[in-house]
Amino acid sequence: MEHSITFTGENIDAKVKVSTNTLLADAAHDAGIDIGQPCGGQGRCGRCAVQVTSGDVRRRSTLRLSLDDIAQGYALACQTVVEGDVAIYIPPQEKIERRLTTDRVVAEVSVPSDYEYPFTQSVRRMHLTLTPPSMDDQTDDWSRTQTAFRLQHRMEQIVCSVGLLRKMGEVLREKDWRVTAIIETGNLEEGHPTRLIDLRAGHEDEYAPLWGCAVDIGTTTVTLWLVDLVTGQVKAQVAEYNGQISRGEDVVSRIIYAAKKSGGDELRQRVLDTINGLLELACKRVKLPEGNLTPEQLVKATIAGNSTMMHLLLGIPASNIRLSPFITAVNQPPTSTAREVGLNISPEAVVDCLPGVASYVGADITAGVLSSGLDNAENVTLFLDVGTNGETVLGNRDWLVTCACSAGPAFEGAGVVNGMRATTGAIEEVWINSETLEPTYRVIGGGKPKGICGSGLISLLSEAFLTGILDKGGNVNLTAGSSRVREGAHGGEYVVAWGAETESGEDIVITRVDIDNLLRAKAAIYAGFTVLAENVGIPLETTDKVLVGGSFGKYINVEKAVQIGLLPDMEWNRFEFLGNTSVKGAYYALLDWRKRERISEIAKRMTYIELSADNSFYDAFTSALFLPHTDLRRFPSVESALGKV
Amino acid sequence: MPIEIPKDKWAGSIRAITIGATSAEGGTRSRCVTIGGETTMPYLHFEAPTPNKPVIAIEIKSRKPEDWSPLLMEVWGEAMTDPAQWAKKSEEAGADLIALGLTVEDTPDDAVRIVKSVLSATGLPLIVWGPGQAEKDNEVLVPVSEATKGEKLVLGICEDKNYRTIVATAMANGHLVQARAPMDVNLSKQLNILISDMGMPKERIIMDPTTGALGYGIEYGYSVMERLRLAALQGDAMTQYPMIVTPGFEAWKTKEAKVGEGVPEAWGDWKARAIHWETLTAIALVESGADIVVLRHPESVARVKDAIEELITA
Repeated sequence: MEHSITFTGENIDAKVKVSTNTLLADAAHDAGIDIGQPCGGQGRCGRCAVQVTSGDVRRRSTLRLSLDDIAQGYALACQTVVEGDVAIYIPPQEKIERRLTTDRVVAEVSVPSDYEYPFTQSVRRMHLTLTPPSMDDQTDDWSRTQTAFRLQHRMEQIVCSVGLLRKMGEVLREKDWRVTAIIETGNLEEGHPTRLIDLRAGHEDEYAPLWGCAVDIGTTTVTLWLVDLVTGQVKAQVAEYNGQISRGEDVVSRIIYAAKKSGGDELRQRVLDTINGLLELACKRVKLPEGNLTPEQLVKATIAGNSTMMHLLLGIPASNIRLSPFITAVNQPPTSTAREVGLNISPEAVVDCLPGVASYVGADITAGVLSSGLDNAENVTLFLDVGTNGETVLGNRDWLVTCACSAGPAFEGAGVVNGMRATTGAIEEVWINSETLEPTYRVIGGGKPKGICGSGLISLLSEAFLTGILDKGGNVNLTAGSSRVREGAHGGEYVVAWGAETESGEDIVITRVDIDNLLRAKAAIYAGFTVLAENVGIPLETTDKVLVGGSFGKYINVEKAVQIGLLPDMEWNRFEFLGNTSVKGAYYALLDWRKRERISEIAKRMTYIELSADNSFYDAFTSALFLPHTDLRRFPSVESALGKV
Repeated sequence: MPIEIPKDKWAGSIRAITIGATSAEGGTRSRCVTIGGETTMPYLHFEAPTPNKPVIAIEIKSRKPEDWSPLLMEVWGEAMTDPAQWAKKSEEAGADLIALGLTVEDTPDDAVRIVKSVLSATGLPLIVWGPGQAEKDNEVLVPVSEATKGEKLVLGICEDKNYRTIVATAMANGHLVQARAPMDVNLSKQLNILISDMGMPKERIIMDPTTGALGYGIEYGYSVMERLRLAALQGDAMTQYPMIVTPGFEAWKTKEAKVGEGVPEAWGDWKARAIHWETLTAIALVESGADIVVLRHPESVARVKDAIEELITA
């Protein structure tokens, strides 16, 4: 029987006649409309969803559609056949992608509602108007300034550095003895006097921006947020690979390098160069009436990072972190100054290195716990940091246990031939047609691809596995039957983008070596949290929520991460992706001294479990070194997905 | 008072697997060898009998190996230059199977010719190993597999990085495969899954957990085999395969077995020591559940046979 099908949508208005049981996708094709089917028309990706506005259809599969969607008439064009005259609305692709429920996108950063400058901020500006000296009053400049603090702000015992004294005379006189002081508020009862950070000529607008930054020093990636401490707003977010990478990809090789002659100095300089470079970059993004912001105007930096990174930044020998019984020189470094640390911001600026717990659970995790809210969770929650040191925290507001394992930098795009950070030009999602093995990908920024970032690698690995390009061991099946699957210099490889489509003109591939690195990374992370949960005696499936942190992209496709065995096989709505939780925690601590104190409390409350204490981790690791896992029963959803492809 | 010995009841068992085919079954072997079928831990007769006793394969090479111990050169003599002769002598020495190792010098034609000559010289079932380099293995094993269709040879060695070609040709020609993983329960299991995923029938896979010689990591190999057996008995289908190990290869690599000169006097007689080394390595592995042990010296074969007999009848 013939039916008439009408298609409408943005720039679409077509009509076609087809017989009963014709697929909507085929009908659209006949009408000259191209509905993308990245997964090859198998109902796996949900990208071909259309809205049936009237008429009878039959849905063969509704995978990817919620009951709500179906109520609204949504149907997958590749899985739905016509049974009468039908009217179809084709929604714009962005709308479809937003509707898909498995992607977990990081929320935009918003200023905490309880932030109130200057009350919760340890750094603030103050106006001083000094009485000019005369032959009758020959008090020295610094005493004169202190008098102004005492008389105008009731502040006693301010400390000042020699560096500031060197410019004090000039600054005081420049705008007729009117100056703006930037101070770090002290607490005399705790023995911390108020400290002068900077002295600027004239009275600055009291609520003009006061600049600070939050930094996360990752083993692989350094992230910096530039913040206006007055409004609390993040004004720029920048990231770059850690300049130390060329001296070792993981913390252990960095520690070994640091122990060599002048190795420690070199590593310290490398990370400083990275941070100072990021400061320049971030400042360029802020336009001020008087020109660009310069790093010298920043008066506070709060730094998170794992214990090794913190030691290397501060130039503290890190060797004992690596040697049993694994002891740091310091878990709670004292507050310091930019001059002392070597940051190119205002020399006397506050540099606050956040506290860690142990050699392999550092300030990145304490900050992450704070920003993820795990320390306030009512129910047992799992927090995973998918980074080079795969740290895991399990707990709630009453208890927190933690462990760490070396996962390697693969998910941050390092140690992968065409890997890159999650920035413009990175392939962040891949679908592979299981019939033709042709990929469809999405590039951050929409231009030509330059490489693949962490989230792209996760979806690529999963798709290659589900479509049979890879076997469960991660071996590339060279007989898969596509020119994209080929023998490369290091074994089998799959071509994601041909040179003609890419920025560099070279093919973008994933190689056997890349796959091994990714498998090791995901196996370490999976083994870490499973062994931790076993140690505590909490079955993973009873955890209320799984919070995922990491700087591998702005989103994670939970389904794909489960399919490769990185995340446990649980309902997708129990996962939350938080992005870089470490820099976010540093940001909270930068703004609010109460949050800063909270991080210290968290550090004290966390119980650290050493995974190398017995063989269970290694055993869990090798069994996870498989797609998705040697024990497929742990991944029922993947088992059924494999059955369908 | 009678003492009741507590018995374990296991959910799983090891698959029984037959190697070689007689003319009735489409091959040319005078007899076949069946291994596996165990339903309990090794030799716990009070729980269950051992349905198929462990068997011994003698390892021979397609060309005279230059790096073998002089003691092996001496005992096999001229036969080492002719694989057919060597196989015949191995049968006389009491082998249940022959394990023929091809070498890198063998062209595909050589390989086919040599395998055929061994098949006609002996009626025993045959294991054929490639030279141990992925590309070369695939190049020689495929024609061998095709030329011996229906013989139910064991082809090897499959490893996680190179198994597809060997498994595919074994499947197509009715042979079995030897699946080797480096002394780890999970890795053994993973390779078995990969091979099964290709569609290989489960009764045509023999797993090789890899082992070490006495004094060179045998305890590690022993415990991995024990754990594999435990997993299998607990019902893990992907570990329920008979096991083959190569104590001859491992033992004759050791200085104690290989070298007679420049060693401490306290080590005693070289020949006795070398054979002890191979024998003890093999017997320990039999006790941990090996179904096939591959040996090199005929004297060790006789002694291990005796030990197996004792284990079975004890």
